[in-house]
Amino acid sequence: MAAKKKAAKPARKAAKKAVRKTKPTAKAKRAANPRKTARLWLMFPQRLITKPVVWELSQKFPVITNVRQASVTGEIGLVCLELDGLANDVKKAVAWLERRGVSVEPVEINVIES
Amino acid sequence: MSKKSGFMKALKCRECGREYPLEATHVCEFDFGPLEVAYDYDKIKKSLTKDALAKRPQTMWRFRELLPVAEEPTVGTGVGYTPLVKADRLAKWLGVREAWVKNDAVNYPTLSFKDRVVSVALSRARELGFDTVACASTGNLANSVAANAASAGLDSFVFIPADLEEGKILNSLIYGARVVGIRGHYDEVNRLCAEIAGKYGWAFVNVNMRPYYAEGSKSMAFEIAEQLNWKLPQHTVAPMASGSLLTKIHKGYQELIKLGLAKDTKPVVHGAQATGCSPISAAYKDGKDFFKPVKPDTIAKSLAIGTPADGFYALKVMKETGGASDDVSDDEIRDAMKALAECEGIFTETAGGVTVGTAKKLVASGKIPAEDSVVLCVTGNGLKTLDAVQGHVGKPDEIKPSLREFEELIEPDLKVKTK
Ligand SMILES: Cc1ncc(COP(=O)(O)O)c(C=O)c1O
Ligand SMILES: [Zn+2]
Repeated sequence: MAAKKKAAKPARKAAKKAVRKTKPTAKAKRAANPRKTARLWLMFPQRLITKPVVWELSQKFPVITNVRQASVTGEIGLVCLELDGLANDVKKAVAWLERRGVSVEPVEINVIES
Repeated sequence: MSKKSGFMKALKCRECGREYPLEATHVCEFDFGPLEVAYDYDKIKKSLTKDALAKRPQTMWRFRELLPVAEEPTVGTGVGYTPLVKADRLAKWLGVREAWVKNDAVNYPTLSFKDRVVSVALSRARELGFDTVACASTGNLANSVAANAASAGLDSFVFIPADLEEGKILNSLIYGARVVGIRGHYDEVNRLCAEIAGKYGWAFVNVNMRPYYAEGSKSMAFEIAEQLNWKLPQHTVAPMASGSLLTKIHKGYQELIKLGLAKDTKPVVHGAQATGCSPISAAYKDGKDFFKPVKPDTIAKSLAIGTPADGFYALKVMKETGGASDDVSDDEIRDAMKALAECEGIFTETAGGVTVGTAKKLVASGKIPAEDSVVLCVTGNGLKTLDAVQGHVGKPDEIKPSLREFEELIEPDLKVKTK
């Protein structure tokens, strides 16, 4: 088993090099960064309730925002948002929301249980 | 794949009531509300009678008509029917007339109430044609999925945060589950798990199988009622993480009433949390019907969900039944664990300490009147959270192999006894 692994290593390296030499095709690019739709619950703390966060998001990132449900009180804002775009852009958009202080949950909310 | 639906009618959105086919799906396409199983109660009424029950084996599956499988269950057929212990000594400690302990610390096979939900999810998964099951979990759920999948010959994936304690991981690895640790912040790990669940054709027990999975908790209510000779308890105290168990205990009691198996004596359901992770109890105390997410910091790891998916519904149940919610500190949790062990000989994990400790608070504040009777849902085993009590339960005495030393040691105790 171990011997087999060793033998396979240089071959894999060579294969990687070969791949690197040729420019990635449009198809390969798309495979690495596919389109996706994320269904998210955003929870806005009080200090952000009056801010146009979703608008800002759509200005900063090439993602389609679609508000599917919302409940905003004086204390907390809950927004169910669909984010559609290239996987990388969706990921960046989510990270930006979190940096802004919005908590971002999947539509299922707590997937990790005890 | 089975075309039959047994006693189920459809999956139904809890928000808008739209119906969906009985597949592995969990959110409403319109409002993203959670889906729940709806049943044909007329059909159930003819089949689930006290006479029929008398002939059935003592497992949770004796209430099979009210559990979401189309045919006979195939996974976890030995789960449930844990003891309901009359806890007179604990009742004194609590300050209440009568107390019972529903002891899921000895549930089969993995010593927590999660075996109930998992056996339902896996039985249904198999009916729907899945051969791989998965979950994201930090403890009890992972153990139960791994064990029940193993015994049924299903492949299992368990996703965990990479920094999880080794003991908890071993409890899943031993069953041959494929365990994947994910590095990153809790929220990131959580979102990735949701994405994985959506991408692969697996039965993810608490995601696409959630409508079926969650129903398994009702069996705790059915058993309690039957064990009390079909009298619903005046008060039930349940621990809350996502809040699902509490809502399903309520649903279970209501179904028994609907079927005429129990009288509507207005059972009250109370919810227990750890102060270090108490979004639901805090909302209850503030009189709010929504909660604010929190960052958990408590020894009750199995209840540490800062954003509880069923928190809203749990608050609703407590409001409807006249129940209350309270929370207990780490020290109060340990004291309650000790009290349960010393009074009843039951060693529970921290979640059970939360339930017992909160019950004491609810009695003290009059939310559970001292002249009433209460059932405490003890949902997990103390052997799983030994680290939580380490250094808090005293130390053994040590002597040389000498009778004289032993006698010197116990002399003070003997004097007290003969007084
Ligand atoms: C031992 C124990 N008790 C109670 C619960 C609470 O479950 P729920 O998420 O249904 O509120 C859990 C869940 O993770 C648990 O592990
Ligand atoms: Zn709906």
